[in-house]
Amino acid sequence: MSASPLQPDQTKRSLGGWLRAQLGQSRGLGELAIESLIRLCGYSAILFVFGIFFFVFREGAPMLFGGLNLAEFFGSTDWNPVGDPPRYGILALLAGTMSVTILSMAIAVPLGLGAAIYVSEFSSPRLKEFLKITIEMLAAIPSIVWGFIAYMMLNPLIIEWTGAPIGLNVLNAGIILALMSVPVIVSVGEDALKAVPDSYREAALALGAGRWEVVYRVLFPAAKSGLLAAVLLGVGRAIGETMAVLMATGHATQVPHSLLDRTQTLTATIAAELGETVQGDDHYRVLFVIGILLFVIAFAVNLTADLVVKGVRGKQNV
Amino acid sequence: MGAVGIDIERLTVHYDGKTALRDVSLTIPPNQIFGIIGPANSGKTTLLKCINRTVDFVPSARVEGLVRVGGQDVRQMSNVFELRRRIGMVFPLPVGLPLTVYDNVAYGPRMAGVRNRGELDGLVEKCLRQAALWDEVKDRLNLLGTKLSGGQQQRLTLARALSLRPDILCLDEFSIAVDPVTTMKIEEVLLELREHMTIVLVTNLVQQARRLAQSTAFLNDSRLVEVGETKQMFTKPAQQMTYDYVTGNIG
Amino acid sequence: MSSGKMSNGGLKTPKADPAPRRMPSATPPAKTNGAPAPSAERAHASYRYFLCPASKSSAPNGAGGDASLERPASSLTEVVAAIGRCHGGAEPSVKRLAGYDRIEICATSLPGVAPTAGRKPRYAFVVDPLGTSDGRGVGSDHAPWPDVDTALAGIRKLSEQGALTLAPGEHLRLSVREVFSATPVDRRKRLKERVAQTIFLAMTVALVVPLVVILTHLVAKAWPVLTPSFVFENPKNNMTAGGVWAPLIGTFYLVFISLAVAAPIGILAGVYLNEYARDNWFTRIVNLAVVNLAGVPSIVHALFGVGAFVMFAGMGESVLAASCTLAVMTLPVIISSTKEALASVPMSFREACWNMGASRWQTIRTIVLPNSISGILTGVILQVSRAAGETAPILFTGAAYFVNVPNKGLGYFFPYALDKSCMALSYHLHVVLTQVKGASPAQIAAGTGIPLEQLQYGTAVVLIGLVLAVNSVSIGLRMYLRSHKKW
Repeated sequence: MSASPLQPDQTKRSLGGWLRAQLGQSRGLGELAIESLIRLCGYSAILFVFGIFFFVFREGAPMLFGGLNLAEFFGSTDWNPVGDPPRYGILALLAGTMSVTILSMAIAVPLGLGAAIYVSEFSSPRLKEFLKITIEMLAAIPSIVWGFIAYMMLNPLIIEWTGAPIGLNVLNAGIILALMSVPVIVSVGEDALKAVPDSYREAALALGAGRWEVVYRVLFPAAKSGLLAAVLLGVGRAIGETMAVLMATGHATQVPHSLLDRTQTLTATIAAELGETVQGDDHYRVLFVIGILLFVIAFAVNLTADLVVKGVRGKQNV
Repeated sequence: MGAVGIDIERLTVHYDGKTALRDVSLTIPPNQIFGIIGPANSGKTTLLKCINRTVDFVPSARVEGLVRVGGQDVRQMSNVFELRRRIGMVFPLPVGLPLTVYDNVAYGPRMAGVRNRGELDGLVEKCLRQAALWDEVKDRLNLLGTKLSGGQQQRLTLARALSLRPDILCLDEFSIAVDPVTTMKIEEVLLELREHMTIVLVTNLVQQARRLAQSTAFLNDSRLVEVGETKQMFTKPAQQMTYDYVTGNIG
Repeated sequence: MSSGKMSNGGLKTPKADPAPRRMPSATPPAKTNGAPAPSAERAHASYRYFLCPASKSSAPNGAGGDASLERPASSLTEVVAAIGRCHGGAEPSVKRLAGYDRIEICATSLPGVAPTAGRKPRYAFVVDPLGTSDGRGVGSDHAPWPDVDTALAGIRKLSEQGALTLAPGEHLRLSVREVFSATPVDRRKRLKERVAQTIFLAMTVALVVPLVVILTHLVAKAWPVLTPSFVFENPKNNMTAGGVWAPLIGTFYLVFISLAVAAPIGILAGVYLNEYARDNWFTRIVNLAVVNLAGVPSIVHALFGVGAFVMFAGMGESVLAASCTLAVMTLPVIISSTKEALASVPMSFREACWNMGASRWQTIRTIVLPNSISGILTGVILQVSRAAGETAPILFTGAAYFVNVPNKGLGYFFPYALDKSCMALSYHLHVVLTQVKGASPAQIAAGTGIPLEQLQYGTAVVLIGLVLAVNSVSIGLRMYLRSHKKW
């Protein structure tokens, strides 16, 4: 009498016994094979995340645990890898990344949330369809094309508007990044608003609230975690962007003191300099260390966004 | 299809800290309609799930005790799919699969390996007739199952359940989402079928059990309170709780 | 007629408040689908009549005085009569009073001198057509008069009894309160609503306008160079002439290979996560990994590609390495969108199949996958457009500045070896933007060179056109899906 598993995965048996049991369930070898393949693919996602961290870490580790002075790394604004002696202070680059991100979020968050609210609550179904398609088109524009727009179109405009000598600066990058992050904020924000049950809206309207009142009295409190997650994902997008800021920030590793200053971000530094390095030398490895830092930052932002959303689903019975 | 009875011995089921069934023992004799009544959350659905082992799909379920179908312990059966094919199940909410009506009824046999078109044609017609749905769909077998009305979908579910020529037919509160006319039609079907198979009828409509079942079991709060001949249960039950329930004083 | 103390003064024409506050038409507060908006509201009107007890009646009692500022009435009774002629009765010429209108009887000391307004009335009476005082109201808030005529009669009676005295500067107010008409609070709220809606619309427009401006500007600037030969010719002469064919083909190579790797793995992983995985800590970690993989910056993908494929796997800078890097980049989103598509199939279908003895895989193969394939495809197609557009991941893993490729024959369509680097449209845009000097004026004049700016805009337009075309397919597929819902 063959053993009969109640939950086949959990009983400890020989491979032969397990196989016999599975086949006894007349599932055929083909089905078994495909289910194993499915499982394997499922586990692969973890593999790739760890893989990314591992390989980036591997290239950067010798420098991270070797010659890199972490205090200087995080504390100094002097980034001069080709100097003698080479200096690896990323504070200026951090300032560049932060300034550009903060400016872009200052533009993108109100615009994005406002557009999400309009699309979700105020627009007619036809208009909603049109707007969603437009936002998707905006999201589809590749980052190098945004870099192109920054360099060719926004650059002269900024020179014209502000009289600055060069239009590639924090302002340029901020505007471009804002336009790139807005679609993320709009679509995730709109999902968050859609997730609030209609019964909430109907109850408020029955009490005489106007549509804007429904939004700020009922929807914001109900969807605030989802909206926060939308903002966080927008931040993540802005921090991680490479090609657009490479073109837009003006290539100057300095701490920006005004909107019209040129600067450089962490991501652009890697993109600009990796090609010049020799594989295995210090400069090469420090760039990988910056990569590790970026990975950790992105991980933290995404984890927070995910927790924020999960927190909602745990509390609300939506 | 033969005379297959069900024996349940000391069945206890825990889900996630909650106990759905506590020490339930009863015998369901073959070839009759056996009613199971009781208020909500008394464990009736769980009992059915243990019979065809769909309780396996509930990840946190722990099952103790014995369920025997036709003398065989269901948990010792090597081929659980065969077990499920021998037991037809009708759920509370009507479900039409997103296939044509024909493919809905032919689904079970096809998964079991029947390929012959002629055989399938005959099977589909027979089951739709048995489920009192044939006249309404015979010209529209290509209609999508999800587009039928609620009552038609419930009869379609019944036809699907019958398509594998089961020994046992289980119905879990089949009438709660369908109109009274459909309910009446299905009840007539059940009365016709009871000579050929064992029917387990879980219902929250006490009068339905009275109309259809030869024996009835009363479950309350995961325990078996009483089981016996329907007439007895409804006129002179042994337990006070049973009397209160069937007369409508509680539940 | 004992009217008590009334002051002198003559007053002129009764005037309705100048510029009655006309509120914008009410916007329907509920989400109506196509129902017409109600018509514009009546202005809330305020009528004032004046009383100057010391003046001699300009008109004999009972005759048609109008109790205006210039010719005020000399007694309340006269005022009431004047009001009655203006507002009472049922003639069409009468100015009917309705929701929140009011009549004020003001006492002044001299005719023609308007008393200071804005103080609280000495006497306030209310008319409420729907009030519950069953016809025996006394004009108070709790027991209002049912209509204007009764109100006027009541005021006259009170003044005859000597209960109403108005000193100069005091006034009597008769307000009409009609249910379902807008209060001033309502009107303020409606204004706020309109403002809010306009602001949000402006924000949305602020997003649409740049897109339109950008696209038109790009196409306009690239127009001279957008010919079929631009697309189908290889770049020539150090990018001073020719077209973008080699980079375009390179992009096709990269996209095809990366999707061939990522799509099967991603779809099956999605099937695992939605259909097979139990809800335990391991599954939660896998889901977390998917979400984080999706958020990794593109340059870190490039670093990973260099570390894992170029270095560790020994592929060198090649089409294979770049494709694998792109595959890892698109994998997580394919997994997520597959999960979503699968989750849209109701659980009841699966349970129905399980109860008939179908196994999990049989159910997935026959019911779940066929009904979610369009959603899955939509997700995959979106990633196609992303893989075509990304530059950073291929920067150091396989994109080349220039590769000499054949201009005809089979090599024209299949120019690249998998173990060597290739050109790619996205990288090509970066190249022509930053590293190419462009054709000299002499070359341009001779027709053998393309002006650099046109070349740049042309490349950008081809890239953006490719990406938007692929996206449109995805959008079209989604709309087809929605119109063919099976349940």
